[in-house]
Amino acid sequence: MDSVLRAGAMYLALMVLFKIAGRRSLAELTTFDFVLLMMIGEATQQALLGDDFSITNGILVIVTLIAIDVGLSLLKQRSGWVSRLIDGEPTIIVENGKLLHRRLRHARLIEADVMEAARSSQGIERLEEIKFAIIERNGKISIIAKEN
Amino acid sequence: MSEDTDHPDLKSRNRPLREDMAYQLKVWRFERVGWYVLVLILVMALGGVFSRGLLSSRNVRSDDGKVGVEYEMFHRNGSTNSMKITLTERPNSPVELELAGQLLEGFSIETLQPEPLRSRSSAQGMKLWMQTDADGQATLYITLRGDAVGLFRSQITSSGTRSVRLVQFIFP
Repeated sequence: MDSVLRAGAMYLALMVLFKIAGRRSLAELTTFDFVLLMMIGEATQQALLGDDFSITNGILVIVTLIAIDVGLSLLKQRSGWVSRLIDGEPTIIVENGKLLHRRLRHARLIEADVMEAARSSQGIERLEEIKFAIIERNGKISIIAKEN
Repeated sequence: MSEDTDHPDLKSRNRPLREDMAYQLKVWRFERVGWYVLVLILVMALGGVFSRGLLSSRNVRSDDGKVGVEYEMFHRNGSTNSMKITLTERPNSPVELELAGQLLEGFSIETLQPEPLRSRSSAQGMKLWMQTDADGQATLYITLRGDAVGLFRSQITSSGTRSVRLVQFIFP
């Protein structure tokens, strides 16, 4: 019983923590983000397994995690409300070559982040060439270039 | 956050996608409040609310001063903490010590040093007999491992003295 509760509690705790961290936090994985992710994994592992290193416990924990994940995706499919709650919504941050500063500030982004995405995805050099920049639900910034 | 939601930047757009900025602002507010909560948890952890710290470490003595206990008020399930019991009695004589209440329900005793002269179970817990030194002092070091979750009240009594009451909480 406790294996299922442990896995459920950790799933919930991590989900809330990553919601607080915001969608951008681990979207562009730098080397350090990768190390950080591994450290979080290490800390989680102990809490998930406790002092029971049996195969049964390991499988129970994995079954619980996957079951919650599949269950949530089914819920998301049926209810737009749940989907919005868990995945969030895309947000426009550049409109017709102009930064929406208030939004950037809330999303903890700076112009350099937008330009980085613009260069790497569209080869855009200047802000004015961007028609729309959007923070997608997965935290990545997608760029729509102005048509010439 | 003092934010004028009427600012043109924060109005919902319909192109290239339909936005709900009222909802997005709530999400951002949640992130901001969540950040404060994280900092609060950090400060609490540094203060010892989750075991091992200023707020957790206690040192209590019985009214007559003969029994003293140093212990952690907050424990975590599965982790170990030490408890130190000091007794003052007649020199070079055996002294009785009773661990009663819920102590043994919430914790398992990993080590007990020094080895008591003898021990037996009692109605509420267990009794140990220790030997005092030439100054009439006896000290017992116990390593406790939290096995359960919740609040545990226990008392530690020495023969003929008032008891020391302990309240301990074990986090999951």
